[in-house]
Parts: sequence; structure tokens; C-alpha cells
Amino acid sequence: MQKKGYVSFVLHAHLPFIHHPESDDYLEESWLYEAISETYIPLLHNFQKLVDEGVKFRITMSMTPPLLSMLDNKLLQKKYINYLEKLIELSKKEIERTKDNERINKLSHYYYDRYSSDLHFFRDECNCNLIEQFKHFQDIGVLEIITCGATHGYFPILYVNEETVRAQIAVGVQTYEKYFKRKPRGIWLPECGYIPEADKYLKEFGIEYAIVESHGVLYADPTPIYGTCAPITSPGGLTCFGRDITSSQQVWSSINGYPGDFNYREFYRDIGYDADYDYIKPYIAHNGVRVHTGIRYYRITGKTEQKDIYDVQWAKDSAEKQAGHFFNSRNEQIENASKYMNVPPIILCPYDAELYGHWWYEGPYWLYILFKKIYYDDCNFELITPSEYIDKYPNIQVCQPCRSSWGANGYSGVWLNPTNDYAHRHLHKAGSRMIELATKYPNATGIVKRALNQAARELLLAQSSDWLFIITNGTMVDYAKKRIVNHIGRFTKLYNQIKRKRIDIQFLKDIEKKDCVFPEIDYHIYTKLN
Amino acid sequence: MPNKTKETKKEIVKETEKISKVPEKEEKNEIKKTKKKNTSAKEIAVKVAETIKEASKKIIGSKEKNEKKPKKATRKSKKVTEEPITTETEKTSKKASKKTTSSTKKTNTKSSTTAKKSVSKKEANKPKDITISKIKNVKETYKSAKAIKPKPKAKKATKKPVSVIENYELPYRYNETIVRILYQTPNTLFVYWDMSDKDRQKYIKQFGEDFFNNSYPVLIIHNDTMNYSFEIAINDFANSWYLRVNDSKCNYRVELGRRISNINSNNTKAQNNDSSQNFHNDYIYVSMSNSVELPNDHILFKTNGNNTIKYRNVKTKQETNISIFDIIKNLPLIEKTEIPYLSSEILEGLYTAIYKNEDLSVLEALANPSSRGLESSRMPHSK
Repeated sequence: MQKKGYVSFVLHAHLPFIHHPESDDYLEESWLYEAISETYIPLLHNFQKLVDEGVKFRITMSMTPPLLSMLDNKLLQKKYINYLEKLIELSKKEIERTKDNERINKLSHYYYDRYSSDLHFFRDECNCNLIEQFKHFQDIGVLEIITCGATHGYFPILYVNEETVRAQIAVGVQTYEKYFKRKPRGIWLPECGYIPEADKYLKEFGIEYAIVESHGVLYADPTPIYGTCAPITSPGGLTCFGRDITSSQQVWSSINGYPGDFNYREFYRDIGYDADYDYIKPYIAHNGVRVHTGIRYYRITGKTEQKDIYDVQWAKDSAEKQAGHFFNSRNEQIENASKYMNVPPIILCPYDAELYGHWWYEGPYWLYILFKKIYYDDCNFELITPSEYIDKYPNIQVCQPCRSSWGANGYSGVWLNPTNDYAHRHLHKAGSRMIELATKYPNATGIVKRALNQAARELLLAQSSDWLFIITNGTMVDYAKKRIVNHIGRFTKLYNQIKRKRIDIQFLKDIEKKDCVFPEIDYHIYTKLN
Repeated sequence: MPNKTKETKKEIVKETEKISKVPEKEEKNEIKKTKKKNTSAKEIAVKVAETIKEASKKIIGSKEKNEKKPKKATRKSKKVTEEPITTETEKTSKKASKKTTSSTKKTNTKSSTTAKKSVSKKEANKPKDITISKIKNVKETYKSAKAIKPKPKAKKATKKPVSVIENYELPYRYNETIVRILYQTPNTLFVYWDMSDKDRQKYIKQFGEDFFNNSYPVLIIHNDTMNYSFEIAINDFANSWYLRVNDSKCNYRVELGRRISNINSNNTKAQNNDSSQNFHNDYIYVSMSNSVELPNDHILFKTNGNNTIKYRNVKTKQETNISIFDIIKNLPLIEKTEIPYLSSEILEGLYTAIYKNEDLSVLEALANPSSRGLESSRMPHSK
């Protein structure tokens, strides 16, 4: 079949920077370990399988600076190995415990094999360096990695101090270059939060394109003639790709989205909650609170609490069927759209990477099957990355994209509402103080320089959109609130100490160790702009 | 956009508008005190009317003056109102508690006696943020009482590098005169504000002790794109507000001011937009916010001038303008179709064709479910 258009998958891999060398009690650290086991390693395995099978594919991933920093952190790597060793120990016990139930026992073996394989892959094959693995796929041309704001700071809230938006971009780009040894061409705007004011800074740091929400393109001025089926470029020189609506719904919809298939693994039925308390106690939270372990034996089954046992093969069958559905839908969509366009349409499918594997356990397999279908089956489209599309079709309509985000209702309501609006004046104040410090001390050396750099780290960490999101979402709220308070507190303390010229070295050393993100940061990025 | 969605939106905004913030204790105190003195609001109003012509000049003048020569009382109050609050080490903590103030919501603006009280209270409370150089069992203090570690590990902990016990609070205010706005939705602005103690003193000096008692704060919302303004009354117990505005995709600024209580100001709407300081005679200007453009909230179906579409080659930077009618003529499916006369109709037609399976009017509801709780694919998860 003649190729008439393109599909572009963009997976946004992000976690907030969570690093607590002072204690093993922070459950939030396990978000990273779960994501590695359920999303990042499965994605890497599937990329490798596709490469081994000679399947030509293209995918784009944003890997955010905090995620990269955590993947590169020796302590967290060590803790991840501990996490796997514990799970291997637990799944070994599970093999024994479930020996009377053949179907569940089969799954216990499955988990034992899977976690053992993860450990071998992570520790022995990768030498704990997953970033290098992703880099490899970028270097061989199947994966395009793009960057993100330094700590996922939400631009529409930060931009009252433009320097802080510029710093988010600058550090995002610098971190990318450190790990991938090249410049990023694209950016995943944190929360897809587009503001025209950031265009010039994105351009300054060499960013060519960004991913935006559908209405970021559809509500643009003037109206893009092809809607989200083609990129637009802003007067400020940033090319924006808008999220396709149909494909998003097919995957995301809570009513009939793919992840809700009855054969898929049930997220909430975890032995952390189901197993006998004394038995499971060593594998749940230190304080005895039941939490997810990752070992789950049931499938979604239906809308009732009655759950049937998970079957890996049934789940794979469903994934294959759904991959076929997605494949056909894109074929139809491109067949239709291409009739009304003078350039081949590009259907942009951006998702949270952690949807694939962590929430939708079968997601990585679905992606693998879909990519194989696109390569082998007869269809009217190919996979492409946004950069490749720009290179092929550089003539792009000039429109001012609309201020937008991918949060509920499309604007700032998730990150600015009565649950979290108390935080913004502190974020702004700290931002303006950082600019004041950087401007006042342009030639700092020694301990003052260290304090200034640490102040920049504290500010960046406070700005993470995740804290505001978590507060809105109502889960783990105390932790998120504490993070804002702590980073603003540490920042303010440093600010006062720097200004009083009395820096507490012990305190500085301590927070340098805790908040060790971006070791190469240079506080000068906050110098006041004219 | 469907009416339904808009109505829901309105409800949400109404709700949010109701929300006012925790009262500033210090302000409460101040109001109580000022009530004792019995200057009437009318008297103040007269005073305001007399001085209003020169007010703006004086404000600027006194600002500079105050900055240059802060009075003793201001200095003292500043000491206790400014945010936290750190002490260096255990060794110096006593010293520090005298010199600095600890984080507290109780801020004071006026009398030195109140300031003293506040300081002594803080001394009693001990500093919130203590750096302890060498402390045994530091790790244990982080853990819950139940989590008992084996003894050898506890010994180990004492050998570990120094850790710092931290306990911060966000300051209630930064003692600065500020108005900042952010957009929440295409029709909702969020505004937060504060007035510095120095400025408060300035107004008291200018208009009398009862000034804050007999006046109330107002926000004047300026739509700079459509050149109109409107005002809403707020109260001294709030320090932030959600403002419903009608026109999306416009530039807004919000002005903070005060109006004298007893003068009815029903005629304050739709005032001129040129200057904030001569809004009305019973009005005192305080501060102006940053400018914010609200997002657009619908498909515009519009082209550039002369029905053209501008293209830019992002590699060569070369720009070209092409008539939308020329573009349409070349489309594979348009050959036999009658081309609409209006470019907006062409665009609507194209959208209907390209999105034949989508109802674009519900686009607003299609945002990423990652911010809607349980369907979330974000890691912070729970049942």
C-alpha cells in the first residue's frame, strides 16, 4: 500500500527526584524501582527484540533530567538491586506458598524468573547503567530522546520570573547533553505547559520542537489548516506537534481504553494487600503499612470485585487484538486526513511512559506487536519521529500556539487550585531571590559558590510540578507538601546565610548530599536578564 | 464550547471565589486596636479627599523616604515579620534565638511591645530549624517508634557522616507589597497579594490610625486588550482570590487598592483605564500586578489577513504567504467540490472532514487523564 502518512509515538518518561540517603523509610523511592522493572526494562527489552528481528521502527522518548539523575545515582542503583533481591526472595517463597494452586504457582514462577532476569540484566549486563542502554538505541537511530524542563517545573506558573523558566530549560538541555553527548532537538514541555514567553529561551538552547496538547494547536491563532495532523511553528520559532485526539482516547479512555481489557493484569490486587500480614510484613513498608509489592495474580476480569486468575497468554492475545485495532484505526484516519492535506499527515501519539508497563502491564508488549504489524503488514503509514518529519517537510504553517497543558480541562487547574495555590507565592519569591543572588554575586568562589549552586538546586526541586499534582490528586499529599516546604526552607536558609556571609558548612554538606541532583549546575543561569 | 461545560465551569469558579484565605492574625490584632480609637470613616474620607490629589506623589515620595530612613518601630516589626528563621548549630542556637526570629505565622506590624512579646514567645518555643553537628541515633529520630533497628546498626549510625535535623515552615508572608496574577483557565485569574508593614505605616501616617479599620481592600481588574476595568471588593482576611473574567485571550492586570468604607461606590464600574491612581476620590492605589494573557478557549477558524496562510521553511527561515483558496484548489478531494467563499467556512469544512469522527466541541474534556486520579499513569498511585 502506498504510504500516505505517519504515526509518531512519544513516551514521556518522568519521575520526580526522590533521593533519601538519610533513611530507608521513604516509600516514594520505590516509584523509581517499580518504573524500572515494569516500564524501562520492558521497553528496552522490546526495542532490542525489534532490532534483533530486523523490524524497522521509530519511537521518541522524553527522559526528564530528574529521572536521568536518579538512574545515574549510585545509591539508588544499589537500593534498586536490594529491591529486586527482596522480590526474588519473596517470589521464591511464593512458589512454595502457592504450590497447591497450579495457575497461581505458574505465575509465582513467572515473577521469580522475571525479577531474576531484571537483576541479571540491570546488574550484570548493563552494569547498572540504563541510560547507556537508551542512548544506544538513540545512537543506532531507532529512538529519539528529547529533553524536558530541569525538574518538570510548570512554565505557566513559573514564568512571572522568566529567568526561572530559562533556567529550567538550560539545565534540562545541559543534563541531556551530559548523558547523551548531543544536543536535544525536541522538548516535552513539563505537563505540556505551553507559553509563548518560553519560545525565545527554547530557541536560545537549540530546541526545535515541542509536544503540546491538542488544543495547543487547534486553538492557535490563526487556525492551523490541518489541525493536529501537521505541526505548526510559532512566530518565536518553536515547532509544535499537537496530540492526536482519537488515538489518545483509544489508549487513555477510562471507559473503553485498551488498558481496561478484562484479560489484563489487575493493578490493585497485589499480594502486598492480599497476603497474610505476618508473612508479607518483611516485604511491605518499614512501618508495617501494606503497600504494593509488584506481585499480582489476578486479571481485571470485570467491573466487580470478583477477580479471576491472571493468564499471561490470554493477556498477550488481548494485546495483539488491540494492536490490530489501533493499527486499523490509524490506517483509516490517515486515509481520510490525507485526502484533505497537501502534506502527509502525522498522527502524534504522546503518552506517559509509565503507562506502559507500570499501569498497563501489557503496554510494552502491545507496543512491540504494533510496531511489528506496522512493519510487516500492509498499511498506509510509517512510524516517524518529530525531527524526521521536520527534516522531510520543513515548510510549516506559522501560527501562535495556544497557552495550554495536558492536565484536566487543558489549562492550569491541576497545578493551581485551592488545594495547592498557597505554594505559588513561595515558589515565585524563591525564584526572584535566586535571581537576586545570582546577580549580586557574579564572581563567587569557594563555599559561597557551592552555596549558590545548592540554592539553585533547592529552587529547582521546589519547582517540580509533581508536588502540586500530587496535592491536587490527594494521594501522598503529606510527602509532596513536605517536599515543597523543605526545599523552600533549605533555599531560604541558604539565601539568608549567603547574604549574611555566614554559611553553615555542615548544613550545606548535608543538603548537598540529600539534594544531589545536577552536580554540574552553575548558578549563573539565574543572572537577571535585561 | 457546549453550554453545559461552561455552566460547570461557572459553578467551579463560584466555588473557588468563595474561598478566602486564613486570616492574618496580625491584621486581626491591628483591627481590634484601631477600633479603640474612634475616628469615623467619614473623617478619613474627607482627609482622603483632601489629600488625594497629592496622594500619588506622596506615595512615591514617602516610599523612597521610608526606604531611606526606616523608623525604629518599623525596624522592630520587620525583625519579627520577616520569614524564617534559621539557627546555625546547637552551640550557637541560644545566640541565634536572640538575634533571629523563628518561623511563625504570628507576624507583627506595629507596636514594639507586641514585637517583644513575639520574640520572647519564640525564645520559649526554641528555633524550629536546628542543626546538630554530632547527634547520636540520628537515624532513629526519623523512624517510627515501631521500627526498631538492631543494636549494631544503631552503633553504626553514630559513625555515619553528620546529618542535620530540619524542620521548616513556610513563612506566612514576605512583608512586601506585591500583587501577582496567574491564569488558571481561560476565564479565571488567580491573584495573590500582600502589603508591607512599611507601606501600612505609610498609609496610617497619611490617613490616620483608623485607616485600615475604615477602609477595605478592592481589586480592580483591567482588561488591557479590550480596554475596560471592573472592581470587586475583597476583605482583609484574604491574601489571594480567584477572579472570574468574561473575555479569554486578553491581557489582564489586577490592581490592589483600598476604598473608604462609608462611601457608597456603586458607580465604580467601567471606569477609565488610563491611570490607576485617580480611579475615584474615595480610593487609594496600593499596587499593580504583572500582566497576564489568558489562554484562548475555542477554535478561531481564522486565517491571516487577505485569507492567506503563512508558511515558514524552518530550515531556511524563508516565509511565504499563500491564499487559502489556492491551497484548497490543490487538495486531492476538493476537485469537484464547490469552494466556500469565506475562509472561515473553508477551515470549518476542513476540520469537519479531517475530524469526521470527533466532536471537537468536547475537546476541553479530552485532556490527559493523567491528572484525573485513578486512571493516572503517574507513579504516585494509591487505591
